[in-house]
Amino acid sequence: MFDFLAESKAPICGVGRSRREFLQIGALGSIGLSLPQYLAAKQAGGVNKGNDNKACILIFNLGGPSQLDLWDMKPDAPSEIRGPFKPIRTKAPDIDISEILPLHAKVADKFSLVRSCQHSGAAVHDAGWQMMQTGRRFTGGVETPHAGAVMSYLRGRKTDLPPFVVLPELMGRGGGNLPNGQAGGFLGKAHDPFALMADPSKPDFKVPDLLPPDQFGASRLERRRSMREIVDQTVKNFEASEDARLLDENFQSAYRIMTSVEARSAFDLSKEPEKVRERYGMNRVGQCFLLARRLVESGVRFVTVNTFLTVFNELSWDIHGSKPFVSVAQMKDMIAPMYDKAYSALIEDLFQRGMLDDTMVAGLAEFGRTPKVNPAGGRDHWPQCFTVSFAGGGVQGGQVVGASDPMGGYPAERPVDPGDIVATIFRGLGLNHESHLPGPAGRPFPLVDFGKEPIRELFG
Amino acid sequence: MSYYCNRIEGFFGLVLVAALLCGVPNLLSADKKREATAIVVLPEKSVLTGSESSQRLIVLDRDGGQLLGEAKELHYSSSNEQVAAVLDGVVMPKGNGRTTITVKAAGGRSAKTEIEVKGMELVSEWSFRRHVIPVISKEGCNMGACHGAISGKGGFRLSLRGYDPETDFNRITREARGRRIELSDPGRSLLLTKASTALKHTGGRFIDVGSRDYRVLSEWIAAGAMPPQEIDARLESLEIFPKLSTLKVGDFQSILVRANYTDGTQEDVTRWAKFTSSNEAVVTTDKNGRVTIVGNGEGAVTAWFSSQIGLARFSSPFPNKIPAEVFTRAVRQNFIDDLVLEQLQRLHLKPSPRSTDAEFIRRVYIDTAGIIPSPDETRDFLVDRSPDKRGRLIDQLLGRKETVDYWAYRWSDMLLVNGRRLRPESVKAYYKWIRERVANNTPWDKIVREVITAKGESNVNGATNFFGVHQDPETMAENVSQAFMSLSLACAKCHDHPMDKWTNDQYYAFANLFARVRAKGWGGDARNGDGKRTIYVEPRGDLIQPRTGKPQPAAPLDAEPVSQGDPGDRRVHLANWLTSPDNKHFSRSITNRIWANYFGRGLVDPVDDLRSSNPASNEALLEALSDYLVEQKFDQKALMRLILQSETYQRSSEALYENRDEDRFFSRQYPRRLMAEVLHDAVVSVTGVPSDFNAVALRDGSTQKTDFYPKGTRALELYDSAVESYFLKTFGRNERELACECERSNQPSLIQVLHVSNGNTINDKLSDKSSVVDHLLKENMSDAQLVEEVYLLCLSRMPEKGELERFVKILSAVKADEKKDALEDLFWAVMTSREFLFQH
Repeated sequence: MFDFLAESKAPICGVGRSRREFLQIGALGSIGLSLPQYLAAKQAGGVNKGNDNKACILIFNLGGPSQLDLWDMKPDAPSEIRGPFKPIRTKAPDIDISEILPLHAKVADKFSLVRSCQHSGAAVHDAGWQMMQTGRRFTGGVETPHAGAVMSYLRGRKTDLPPFVVLPELMGRGGGNLPNGQAGGFLGKAHDPFALMADPSKPDFKVPDLLPPDQFGASRLERRRSMREIVDQTVKNFEASEDARLLDENFQSAYRIMTSVEARSAFDLSKEPEKVRERYGMNRVGQCFLLARRLVESGVRFVTVNTFLTVFNELSWDIHGSKPFVSVAQMKDMIAPMYDKAYSALIEDLFQRGMLDDTMVAGLAEFGRTPKVNPAGGRDHWPQCFTVSFAGGGVQGGQVVGASDPMGGYPAERPVDPGDIVATIFRGLGLNHESHLPGPAGRPFPLVDFGKEPIRELFG
Repeated sequence: MSYYCNRIEGFFGLVLVAALLCGVPNLLSADKKREATAIVVLPEKSVLTGSESSQRLIVLDRDGGQLLGEAKELHYSSSNEQVAAVLDGVVMPKGNGRTTITVKAAGGRSAKTEIEVKGMELVSEWSFRRHVIPVISKEGCNMGACHGAISGKGGFRLSLRGYDPETDFNRITREARGRRIELSDPGRSLLLTKASTALKHTGGRFIDVGSRDYRVLSEWIAAGAMPPQEIDARLESLEIFPKLSTLKVGDFQSILVRANYTDGTQEDVTRWAKFTSSNEAVVTTDKNGRVTIVGNGEGAVTAWFSSQIGLARFSSPFPNKIPAEVFTRAVRQNFIDDLVLEQLQRLHLKPSPRSTDAEFIRRVYIDTAGIIPSPDETRDFLVDRSPDKRGRLIDQLLGRKETVDYWAYRWSDMLLVNGRRLRPESVKAYYKWIRERVANNTPWDKIVREVITAKGESNVNGATNFFGVHQDPETMAENVSQAFMSLSLACAKCHDHPMDKWTNDQYYAFANLFARVRAKGWGGDARNGDGKRTIYVEPRGDLIQPRTGKPQPAAPLDAEPVSQGDPGDRRVHLANWLTSPDNKHFSRSITNRIWANYFGRGLVDPVDDLRSSNPASNEALLEALSDYLVEQKFDQKALMRLILQSETYQRSSEALYENRDEDRFFSRQYPRRLMAEVLHDAVVSVTGVPSDFNAVALRDGSTQKTDFYPKGTRALELYDSAVESYFLKTFGRNERELACECERSNQPSLIQVLHVSNGNTINDKLSDKSSVVDHLLKENMSDAQLVEEVYLLCLSRMPEKGELERFVKILSAVKADEKKDALEDLFWAVMTSREFLFQH
């Protein structure tokens, strides 16, 4: 049995090691297995299920979806609050959901909702992005790491793939000159996510530049590498530079992905049956969700999917109603069906493949929307109360935790905040949220602030 | 930026852990034995007014001008116990008059402080504005997470952090049928029973019965719950004690905050101030202003009280021993070096030596003009033996066309020249306008004045496009402030700024300066029409301050308002104030931006966040440089020249043992990745194969052809951030959606590495028929000459002997028909090295 709760830093990259050595360090090295051996052992049942397969897919719904029109409907409230949609029954007796999420209804026994999430940051996008993904506010010049960067730091990579990936690209900046929470922060840039920078729904999708030009044979690649080493050994000015070290590490990582068939095939969506691709939806969100599943299957520990890239585009969950934003009612045209399809497909697929127990799927956002529909038919920013979803990773589906007041404006029961949310993700990943990271200047920094706890009710 | 709204319960635990950890390695700093030859008492004198007043004293060890930690074993005495006495370090008034407090510490050291007591005959009254609001603010009742939320909590709403005392007074005393106060029996007031949890209070307990804060509230109620009044004394300034102290890791220190009021009275408001650290890697603080030093370097603790901010700065020298000669003998070219060295000496950091000529030439080309030098330029410079060759090179570069392109591009970032928001002809006019000003080295104040007061047609007067990008008074105000003062005002739109001194009223006064700006042709979809807009100014019209429902008299932040009836363009009034030599916000902002260009980091970081709670890493230097720029009448090139000529700029980037742990005091240059456009252009200039820029990507994902950019256009010559380029996007160009430098990223990422390794930019350009590779192959050079040429082209230096030998060995083993491949590989190897991708 591995002791994966030992809070030591996992080795990363190991500059200067050969690829063979890479495969033997890290979690596997401790028991002297190479990756193929490990896979064989796993197939033969020799590796405990659940020991190192814990993973998380964090869906970040940029813009801030409306709790009142999706997951926390108030059919008895006055019309300016309840909005244009009606609730429907679902497979889970405790969960009613909006009629614009019909496919959610069919998998409602697999996910649970927390209807009493709130945060105390300002009602601007960046504050919520940063708090919901790191569990903390940006304060005192300390940039706290994304939960995936923490996983990357504590567990390192499992295969040739990077441990922490963001699809399809990092979220853009909001208006507040704040970090957006999708980085390694004080853990260092080596734990920044690998951001894909491509749209997997495009017909010609591939990871940009994953392979060298076709005409290059192995000997030429080897020559390039050895030549590059000659140049890099001379100038010593880069040794105190974190960015320069990071560049070296990225070259190592790039080489691993490039030379690993498994790693490259993880990104190859054409290996999926057309039916499966269509089930997720032939759009960016759907194909990102599918790609997330493939990556987790291939050993990525943490995938964050940004359902939209910025709130400056016309389409996002940021439904102010006034131009250029969509209104509450317009959600049913495109945004809701797209998300409904992709999310239900992901949950179903993970379940059918037996991956749901080890893979937590967290559906988060920077905030919810104002209880009252505004004159433009939209709803505005509202961090005081919103709904988040959890499935898998030990979460018992079909439950509702917490409740909002009759207007959906404030938690009425069991308020939870970003620290609790991130603690819940750590629990899903099998990490002890009370352990410590080396913070700025080497000070111990707890995974979440003191007093923040996983939402225990979620775990059956 | 944080939002001050939550209580971080984990904090105390953390401080404890930190304290435990830091207690032991005090050995680290034991190298410097501090000579506390004297002590000092702070504040040096105080006036106490009325029987409720008091003043805590802090007594510090002093070594010459340096304040060290708190002195121990103190004994206090008052020359007149009838006037004031000291109890547990706090001066308590006894009767009107003057007295001298003497403090004695170990080693026969002593110090004095003068105390004047007055007003003892008057009945002390707690004032709503001066006492009640601070109590409520300190306890956090009016935080964003509690009753300060936009819609309050549990039906009780307060203005965020007490920015609106009149409304708060009404809510406390009148709302809920007056249940919140009980004049005849203050203890039964909801205000107190809730806060002390005598009645159930969801927020928890904040005030203990019998505490001083409880007494303030209950006595204010008992005295009739008097409202805030126009004649109330207002807060004039905050004083912080001590302002700067030098401490070791593990030391503790208290901070005092004193408020000075418009009626001349003072008050020790330490207990009501809110404290936050600006750099938790160096200093942390608890909620009482008790500070712990946790790391080496410099940091500040911000004290917030009633919308004013004060800073206590802390210096914690690194555990190095640097002989004084290092500093006395150090080369100094100008005052930059004096001020940097002064700080380095204070912090025990050793400056790195001067860069080599090869390092310098590549660096100064990149930083000044955004290009890398040609092999000939490098050769000439390296063989030149004249002592003033660096100075001459600097002057030459500042006069180059590429330098104009470079700064036109940087200012286009800031002014948001963006084809997703402006039609092509406007983009062009806007860019040309900017470039022309850069080419003429137009003084910065003049450029800004022209932008702010721009009028006319957008395709004719390019500057008017600033008002095409920002179409309402609030965004105009926020962007003017962000771009030209590096101040983010957005917080103050809804409430007083929590991290700066700007109030909600000041925000609306500022925005009201733009209330009369109008345009024909605003609005509409950026993809349609010719995008022509004509900006003009109405003679009347005001922006309403929503809190009062009335227009806020238009005024530039802390300046005098414009006369209400004046029909003239209020923006002129703003421009006068903004660009005035007295406006430090303005000169510091542009100075910091220019400095950051040459060091990869501002004196204030982030570069465009100059709020008062985010101090510079070297405050004296920023002050001196911005004064210099003002003296030079905002001649940007004069400032650039001064920086480039300094020894500080010209230092090597090689870290020494005695400076490798610092990244903000400029003891050396910090290596950094080339910015996207510069890197792109370097690839083009090395390979000789330009890129095509022929499409603009619009907001909805569609693209439009553009014929603005002839073959050979460099990335730094583009007008527009919307021009399609995978390379530029991947390497983090500024997308120009926000007036924020944070949109640009110079970090190396995995996807960038994949692109330089396998992507089409470097590889295709190298294999192109017209590339440098073919050109060099035709020159009949020896292998050694080829290697030298590649090094000069890419890295602006000659190869080291070992490098040359190893490369020649590889090349000489290559068959003739593979020579081209091998040379491509050599270029590739050099162009993907950190030495090429980075500057140092």
